[in-house]
Amino acid sequence: MLNFTVYVTKALGGLLVCILFSAGVHSSPSSKQDALPAPHFSLPAIANTEGAISLDAFKGSVTYVDFWASWCGPCRLSLPALDAIYRDLAPKGLKVMAISVDVVEEDAWDFLARYPVTYPIAIDTEGSVPKAYAVNGMPSGYLIDREGRVRAVHVGFKRGDEDALRAEILQLLEE
Amino acid sequence: MHCALKFCSYWRSKRLEAFRFVVLCAVMGVAGCSGLEPVAAWERGYLAEEGMQWQSSAREAKFEGHVYTSKEASSGGNGAAGGGCGCN
Amino acid sequence: MAVIERGVKNAHSASTIKQSPLVRTLGAAVAALPAYQNTYADAPPEFTEVGLRYSHYSEDSLSEDKFIAGARGRYDIDVTQLWIEAPIGSNWSIAVDVQNDSMSGASPWFVGTQVDGQPGVIMSGASIYDNRVEVGATTRYFWADGNAGFNVTHSKEDDYEALAMAFDVAWNSADNARTWSASASTSNDRVEPVNGNIPVFIDQEDIDTASVYFGVSQILSSTAIVRIGLGYTFSEGYLSDPYKLFDARPDEHSRTALSGGYRKFFPEAQGALQIDYRYYSDDWGTDSHTAEVAWHQSFDRFALTPYLRYYSQREADFFSVIADLEQDFYADDFRLSSYGAITVGLRSTVQIGDWQMEGQLERYESDNDWGLYDGEAAPALVNFWRATIGISWRFD
Repeated sequence: MLNFTVYVTKALGGLLVCILFSAGVHSSPSSKQDALPAPHFSLPAIANTEGAISLDAFKGSVTYVDFWASWCGPCRLSLPALDAIYRDLAPKGLKVMAISVDVVEEDAWDFLARYPVTYPIAIDTEGSVPKAYAVNGMPSGYLIDREGRVRAVHVGFKRGDEDALRAEILQLLEE
Repeated sequence: MHCALKFCSYWRSKRLEAFRFVVLCAVMGVAGCSGLEPVAAWERGYLAEEGMQWQSSAREAKFEGHVYTSKEASSGGNGAAGGGCGCN
Repeated sequence: MAVIERGVKNAHSASTIKQSPLVRTLGAAVAALPAYQNTYADAPPEFTEVGLRYSHYSEDSLSEDKFIAGARGRYDIDVTQLWIEAPIGSNWSIAVDVQNDSMSGASPWFVGTQVDGQPGVIMSGASIYDNRVEVGATTRYFWADGNAGFNVTHSKEDDYEALAMAFDVAWNSADNARTWSASASTSNDRVEPVNGNIPVFIDQEDIDTASVYFGVSQILSSTAIVRIGLGYTFSEGYLSDPYKLFDARPDEHSRTALSGGYRKFFPEAQGALQIDYRYYSDDWGTDSHTAEVAWHQSFDRFALTPYLRYYSQREADFFSVIADLEQDFYADDFRLSSYGAITVGLRSTVQIGDWQMEGQLERYESDNDWGLYDGEAAPALVNFWRATIGISWRFD
């Protein structure tokens, strides 16, 4: 039985080594040629602004569109992290808008009460906008350049991801 | 490898005939699952509900497993066997 | 100008923080591993959690008509579980679990015949007292499509020591609708029975166990998930019960378990139906069916989950109510007899800010008549009730 234990230890050690070399989910800004235009939308605002929020209003600015939900665990980290970036870089021209995909608006309100942010928030209970953006995981963030093209997509969120995002935004702000 | 040989001979034993059939059906059922309608990432809110988790809490599951393994003849169905105890 | 819609009041509390929506590891797959089962495969827990649970388990005394000699009071166990689970960096988490079991009570020593011809139990004498301490640690690594964990657990009590290691891994399919999981574990145990009020006939013996599990869970719709799993366990060593007078079991034991589960959420009711099933079979002749049904009902700030469990097992080949010493292997342990058992319970959880409290109460009763299989009724079948309270705190 001791031999089996040794065997198992070696096997899993090897497996762990393999796992450690697996890649993450980052994407550096894609070049202008490959980038696709960001789909247009107009959604009702639920926080930090009035009326409707539409992508057209931000044409000419670097924009970050973030899809989140009250039920998304990592969003408890990503919303405050994004807010920190927004407060730093909004004076430099960054625009941020976040779209909640909650089917019940009250859930989004309750989440924002616990994790308040300062950027405009809209809600899409129907799911048509995330569909247009081919959202593949939650949260999903789309970095859009001044010409309205999607240059980077961030799926999921772990502590430290905000650093890469900040670098990408600074790069686009200089274009 | 001794363990693997034991499993093979046990698996092939007559007593597991019905059991093997059920497992085969189950595996085929899982493989055939690709025909399901996909659920988009933004539509998974309900799946995140507390009641939709496989276990209510990891510690409760561990505790229950411990109680039932020491008071009944069955064990497992929960994955790895933890350390034993002199439970009587 | 768009009109802002006001949604229907959602009974589900906002401060009940929901976990990541993507179905990850098969929860049950790693249930036996101390902690660390996250329901999201691609990111460590967002916050650090510390928690404490206390449970009291109390068996009914043996009834008069089944009792011959010894102490009638059976086991009372107090279990305290303490844990901390924390993210480390952006890809790792660590969890440490400490559990203390404080046991006292008498247990069946052997089964004999009463003056009226009925079988009766001779119990161990005065109450035994024992304390078990278990410490386990798990490190877990997360990547985009899955996670893997390694656990080491050590437990020690007066007459028993065990060291177990387990490795588990879970990974998602490309569309994140299917999660595969696998685990392997070993345990090296040593029993050194204490010469208390029961004579024992061994000094020190070892038991080695290895176990593997493989399973998959699938999202069926936006409100339903299903899982299936297969586990195999092999033990060898001294597998008899040293505290039973007539107990001689084989020195090898092969066990297989096929399990499945289903969860369905009903948005209008704000409730989830939970169904779990396990079929077990081993090479000692025991088969069993376990079925559990629960309903998780969410309210504004808390949740209630009533549940029901049915269990039925077939007696082991070498079991008999009164041990048959003519055979190579024999046992009169009620745990190897045919019987059915029912558990009825209620679990409640309350979430207040970063704190969560839990409470649970259940009653377990077993009876030879409730089983699906034939077999003689062991007189020492046990009934118990169990209560648990717990509190946990999540913070940055």
